Amino acid sequence: MGTVIAVISGKGGVGKTTATANIGVGIAMNDKKCVVVDFDIGQRNLDMILGLENRVVYDIVQVMDKEASVKQAVIKSKINKNLHFLAASQTKDKSILSSEKVKSLIDELRLNYDYVILDSPAGIESGFEHTIEYADKAIVVVNPEVSSIRDADRAIGILDAKSQKVKDGDDVSKYLIINRIVADMVQSGEMLRSEDILDILNIPLLGKVPEDRGVIDASNQGKPVISNKKSIAGQAYERISKRICGKDIDIRDVESESAGMFKKIAGIFK
Amino acid sequence: MKNKQYSLKILETSIVNEEKFIAFFDANYMLFKDHLISIKGDLSDNVKKYLLDKKLIYVNNMTLPQGRSRKALEEEIHIHKTPCESEEYKKLEAQLAEERKDNAVNQQIAKSEIAQLHRKLAHNFTVIDSIIRSGREVNIDGDLLLLNRVNSGATINTTGNLIITKVVEGAVRCNGNFMMITVSPKANIIFNGVEVDNELLTDKLNRIELKNREIFITPVLKKEITWVQ
Repeated sequence: MGTVIAVISGKGGVGKTTATANIGVGIAMNDKKCVVVDFDIGQRNLDMILGLENRVVYDIVQVMDKEASVKQAVIKSKINKNLHFLAASQTKDKSILSSEKVKSLIDELRLNYDYVILDSPAGIESGFEHTIEYADKAIVVVNPEVSSIRDADRAIGILDAKSQKVKDGDDVSKYLIINRIVADMVQSGEMLRSEDILDILNIPLLGKVPEDRGVIDASNQGKPVISNKKSIAGQAYERISKRICGKDIDIRDVESESAGMFKKIAGIFK
Repeated sequence: MKNKQYSLKILETSIVNEEKFIAFFDANYMLFKDHLISIKGDLSDNVKKYLLDKKLIYVNNMTLPQGRSRKALEEEIHIHKTPCESEEYKKLEAQLAEERKDNAVNQQIAKSEIAQLHRKLAHNFTVIDSIIRSGREVNIDGDLLLLNRVNSGATINTTGNLIITKVVEGAVRCNGNFMMITVSPKANIIFNGVEVDNELLTDKLNRIELKNREIFITPVLKKEITWVQ
């Protein structure tokens, strides 16, 4: 039985879809069978980031309505054979989802894959609720800024209230990814420190991803940044994916690393 | 006969300086607009006109019944309970019921209300140790001990006393006799209808209490605790 992981954020634009794509590729690189599912019905873009834009034939709504089977609808990634992708519908809207349909789809995916990664829509309405309803775990993506933290806090609150696992008396484990950290802004106090974010949200840290110009280009090219071994964000996602697959990797202190290098260079000229 | 009972908040004040009085109400209008303003001493036409313009309802030189503390209420309930069980009282009650049914119904309502209040006073202590996340509203009828954070966007309402041991970034409304709270620069704290200035909370744990209708803030735990090595 596979693990179902919902990727949530509350606020939009913090890098949820990018994180989903990279984690999907990362898990596949660890030789696990993984499917990433775009739950953002009506606003699909995970297909573009994975570079599978023009290969979508059937979408998630057609699978739920039994117009196509899961086997027909999933698209194999060009990057890694272990990675499959199920697209959202671009023409329908979220009102099409219902609890029973979501449950039967997730139950089927769970049987066929080691990891099922669900990319949640931004916000906290019905589309979000359906994404988290049957998830075993949740990855919360935040940026080091107050509005993102508050929205994530609210999303975690709803997750704890509406998840089926919680209703059954169990617990959904939640993990935090702090995305787009700019080291010198943290040090000058313009950006929130990771310790403060962890204090507020009170969930374990899965990884810190530094700001990296390469991410946008990678998304535009449809090649997740994790495939670029030189990218610092790609390396961060590689470490995160290993942690998800159960490997014990130390958390890198990305806030002081780049500044540390700068100081070293400054030291040479002294 | 139609009865209606409700509590209202009263601001008791006297006018020393008219300008200051008006400035105070201009500044705190939102807080006191639903209060009954009880003013001691003479009222000038100027002040009357101001109050009328602002639609503030006031009474002048009127003696109003004072609220009672919880202890006094409990004692009163106790006194009410004992005669209820005596033979004499039952007889009297039966007589009354025959004579005036309306009255009996009213007494029944009063009795059940007192019983309800008694239950409330007996089981009114809640402990919460989970984090209060944004968007959650916790309404507690009674006292609350909260052992975790209150995040920005969350609200806590208590009718009784309140102790929060970790940082508050949300809104807190407490109507008890006292509350204890840590240094919380981002919190919005309203204690018995009055906003508490966050800058006055300077220590690890501050006790905020109402004494003779005045708010006192006293440090309970100092910030730095030095342990014996």
